[in-house]
Amino acid sequence: MSALLSVTGLSVLGPRGRLVEPVDLALDPGETVAIVGESGSGKSMTAKALTGLLPSGVRAAGTMLLGGRELDLAAGETGWRGIRGGGIALLLQDPFTSLSPVHRCGDQIGWGLTGSRRTRSARVATLLAEVGLPERVAGQYPFELSGGMRQRVALAAALAADPQVLIADEPTTALDVTTQKDVLDLIAGLQRSRDMGLILITHDLGVARSRADRILVMYAGRLVEQGSAAAVLDTPGHPYSARLLGCEPPLDRQLTRLASIAGSVPQPYDVGAACAFAPRCMLAVDACVAAAPPLVAIGPGHAAACVRTGEVLDDPVGPTVDGPRPEPVESPETGEVIGATGAVPLLRVADLTRRFHGTETPALDGVSLEVAQGESVAVVGESGSGKTTLARCVVGLEHPDSGSIELAGGADGRAQRVQIVFQDPYSALNPGLTIGTTLRETLRAAGRPAELVEGLLELVGLPAAYARRRPKALSGGERQRVAIARALAVEPDLLVLDESVSALDVSVQAQVLNLLRDLQQRLDLTLLFITHDLAVARQVSQRVYVMRAGRVVEHGPTDAVLARPQQDYTQRLLASVPSAHRTED
Amino acid sequence: MSEGRARPLVAYTLRRLLGAVALLFVLSVVVFSLIYWAPGDIARNLLGNRQVTPESLAAVRRQYHLDQPFVVQYAGWLRAALHGDFGRSIRTGEPVGGLIRDRIGVTAAICGLAFVLSVVGGVAAGIACAVRRGSWLDRILVSGSVLGVSAPAFAVGLLLLYVFAVWLGWFPFYGTGDGLLDGLWHLALPALTLAIGLAAFVVKLTRAAVARELDADYVVFARSRGLGRGAVLRIVLRNAAVPIVTSLGLLLAYLFGGTVLVEVTFALPGAGALMQDAVEFKDFPVVQALTLAVGLIVTLSAVVVDVVYLLVDPRLRGRVSHR
Amino acid sequence: MSMLTRARTPRTPDTSGTPRTVAARRPPLTVIAAMVVLALVVIAALLHPLVMDWALTQNVALGPVGTGVEGHVFGTDQLGRDVLALSLAGARSALGGPILVALGSMLIGVVLGGTAGYRGGSLDFLAGRYTDLLLALPATLLAIVVAGVLGGGYWVTAVVLIVLFSPSDVRLVRAAVMEQRPLPYIEAARVSGISGPRVLFRHIAPNVLPIVVANALLNVAFALVAFSSLSYLGLGVPPGTPDWGRQLADGRDLLGSNPMVTIVPGLLIIATATAVNLVGDWLEGRLNSEAVER
Ligand code: SF4
Repeated sequence: MSALLSVTGLSVLGPRGRLVEPVDLALDPGETVAIVGESGSGKSMTAKALTGLLPSGVRAAGTMLLGGRELDLAAGETGWRGIRGGGIALLLQDPFTSLSPVHRCGDQIGWGLTGSRRTRSARVATLLAEVGLPERVAGQYPFELSGGMRQRVALAAALAADPQVLIADEPTTALDVTTQKDVLDLIAGLQRSRDMGLILITHDLGVARSRADRILVMYAGRLVEQGSAAAVLDTPGHPYSARLLGCEPPLDRQLTRLASIAGSVPQPYDVGAACAFAPRCMLAVDACVAAAPPLVAIGPGHAAACVRTGEVLDDPVGPTVDGPRPEPVESPETGEVIGATGAVPLLRVADLTRRFHGTETPALDGVSLEVAQGESVAVVGESGSGKTTLARCVVGLEHPDSGSIELAGGADGRAQRVQIVFQDPYSALNPGLTIGTTLRETLRAAGRPAELVEGLLELVGLPAAYARRRPKALSGGERQRVAIARALAVEPDLLVLDESVSALDVSVQAQVLNLLRDLQQRLDLTLLFITHDLAVARQVSQRVYVMRAGRVVEHGPTDAVLARPQQDYTQRLLASVPSAHRTED
Repeated sequence: MSEGRARPLVAYTLRRLLGAVALLFVLSVVVFSLIYWAPGDIARNLLGNRQVTPESLAAVRRQYHLDQPFVVQYAGWLRAALHGDFGRSIRTGEPVGGLIRDRIGVTAAICGLAFVLSVVGGVAAGIACAVRRGSWLDRILVSGSVLGVSAPAFAVGLLLLYVFAVWLGWFPFYGTGDGLLDGLWHLALPALTLAIGLAAFVVKLTRAAVARELDADYVVFARSRGLGRGAVLRIVLRNAAVPIVTSLGLLLAYLFGGTVLVEVTFALPGAGALMQDAVEFKDFPVVQALTLAVGLIVTLSAVVVDVVYLLVDPRLRGRVSHR
Repeated sequence: MSMLTRARTPRTPDTSGTPRTVAARRPPLTVIAAMVVLALVVIAALLHPLVMDWALTQNVALGPVGTGVEGHVFGTDQLGRDVLALSLAGARSALGGPILVALGSMLIGVVLGGTAGYRGGSLDFLAGRYTDLLLALPATLLAIVVAGVLGGGYWVTAVVLIVLFSPSDVRLVRAAVMEQRPLPYIEAARVSGISGPRVLFRHIAPNVLPIVVANALLNVAFALVAFSSLSYLGLGVPPGTPDWGRQLADGRDLLGSNPMVTIVPGLLIIATATAVNLVGDWLEGRLNSEAVER
């Protein structure tokens, strides 16, 4: 069978060495291939190499055969001219930056088109209709549209020249989960109606399972496994694929402990002739580091690059145990279920409102919430729900217009009794100070001895020697651990986690979630989790508040709310989450 | 729809114009009080070579209302100024308005020429630099622009004057010439002098603006759709226009400082040279009027720039109409 | 460029090809040359007392003579003063005032801009009006008028220039501090109970200071141009003082008899200002890339 697109020996060379080892790839018309990997896997570089759009200083090699035309991937700008647009089009991740801010959407869609003004604007209208947008959008500027609408405009623009292949590089990562579902549905529909090949680059195994026919798993610049979606995700042939799958938190049940992969992804050019996964692989043997294992067929169309593939399939995941959990208890006053370990509310937020200057809708519109001592509560919501404003009010970084925030034992010194860990690991720590200095300073502010630094590091699972390092030398997950240690340095009663694991790769996210759970038990901490990720909320919380447009729409025990949502919105939210695991019904 | 878009724009422009008037008022008060409280006796200045006696001083004080309190003096000046009467020059006795009108042509010609030269040359060079970042062309132009920004107009002017007028004799040493062509020939060196510094600034600015846009995601996206180099560059330039236009307004404001130096250097009878004379001879009515004239041009150009800014950047337009 | 332009062009990190490595640390040849030029000017400025007598020795009878006359490498000016001596002696006023202006403006910028950016509120409002007003006024003109009306004088000029330079420093520091304030590590420090001044000095200042220092260096260059422009117009320094701007003013009429009166100090002004700018640009770029790397 002749493929629509076939790529042989695609590799990418950066200034410090190979970023992607030679990869072969084939795509049929109407087929969806997902390239899956964590950050640093080389998946985005592969996508860029397929359109000749690598950043300066990075070169590609290999050949590509598209609809009978052959192209050297190292070709210059002129070689790509006939390919881009009509042959291959690229949809980028961030709809906020991929459109020109000062041009009308209609003009942007029409850029690639030819013909008279009239025919072009008719074509733009057709394209807009195809992506489900009204014609008036043609006259609007990107800043007047929501993220989802912008991504639709970008999609219309990408399709303007009727490409045979669409490469979508994390097309929905920047979007909310409900919007994400709509956009993915749209892409799938267009692909079918246009009989287009689709290469989907994603870090999200759930997206890959629900959308792809075939999956390619990449790790540290190497293709480690490929096969049909079902084969790769149900019977993974490579330990990495299997373990990655195990790290994905399930939405439908709570595990006492998430599987995780110790360590972090190496730089592709540091690996050499060995299995890149060897340092983190529990099954590694001498043969693994003797040479880079080649892709070996293990089933029809299914291949993995592991010397022990075939032996390993059955014990891939490690301990993911469903365990007993504390039962929620009822509040003595209200009769409402409020806590798990104690009925004393530690934090009581009542009727909080906050409106930001120059915005039409309030960020907080009468939010009430209670957190009991020792409890773990999640606040979930999409962007614009007000969940972050709530968190900032609770720690005192933002002041509500009205309403009250009470902490048991008086409101004084709230700043020190409530601590926060933010989302971005890269700006979490002052780049100019060593880890030790940062922790010591915080300890001093709390009136505690500086010698506790080692203990704090140990508490978050880092070696004491890290005290002398600067943030630059730490990975994202390690930085978040230090941020947690800093928050714990002042012995807070309540720890607010504002999307603290969202920026991490799934294997690292699992490590940090496990750590937080351990800490909660050991230190009798009370946790307030702010997250957009329902699966994370499921894993870490006993109770959950669902927020939308500044209001709490539903709350209750996590199991109950997520298993039997009462509100439409919660139901829609849940239905939008793609699962990486086989749905058991 | 167009009305809905135009109304906030008009309101905005009016608001900015009001601001400009307020600013001019502040400027006139500042300059007036500077003169009022300046060391030295204005009356003595006014007397010039005439004999200084207590009587003559008193007479002059009365004639120029110098014996009145500050507020009264200022109010008197303001009332007259609003009627277009800026008083008479202390040095020549001519009406200030006419004096300035006679001189403004040369200044406008130099500034206009320099502005056009520097913007056309500077924007083109800046774009070339940004597109070929790291090339030898880029390196030369960037180093050149550092030199241009650092070199004061009078130093450049005198060096040009020496090389082209004294040494090579290609250009006239002074004067404005008669007729259009001769005039251009006479103004070429002064305008070039003024343009060099400005162009250097425009190069730096354009390069930075275009380079930043070239790195944007939408450029990658546009290229991935198969748009050619020219088409992509057009999109980029439309985006880069926003910061460039703002800074061009700044240039206009700074032209005047340069023109004082250039006119003095090339002995041209422009408003800049008049300014230097007036300051040197403490010819306060002229100083006051010239300051306001320049202030007017500067603030008006700032308003124009802000409105143009609004026209090129739809995001800003949205924000203004929301206010 | 006109004498008071200090408008900053936005800088983009150079992403052209080579990765940020050690090579970026070693100053390029042009910057080394600039440093040598600066060192020479500084030495000349320090030698000021030694050359003053020589520079002030007049020989009116000799008049302006060209190069090559015995004992006068670059000839003499209209008063028969040695051009080389005058130019060496002029180094002091060429550097002293500008450095003072840069420091003064930096001080205002750090104090006013820093507190305005960190505290916000009414102080920020006042600082905003202060900068708006000064930036809206035609600065060059104001400098000429104020220096002229107040009767010039080197120190008066310095104060005028400090006031006129300060708004851009205030804006720069304020913007830098405001950029730092919402950073997670700053907010985390505040939440953990570390005191305001400590957050400001320990966490914000080290990240803002490099920009401020580099900016001060660039201000020296602009102040040098401004000072010499004013003295060229007969403002700023009293007549008879060795000063490059003054020399050029005299030199205009001597272009025929001894062009060196113009050329030597003219090139000195250009070279010094360029050198300061080059070093400032380099420093700024280096500090920026360091900030990115950390
Ligand atoms: S090759 Fe060896 S180290 Fe690599 S995944 Fe297989 S068993 Fe593990």
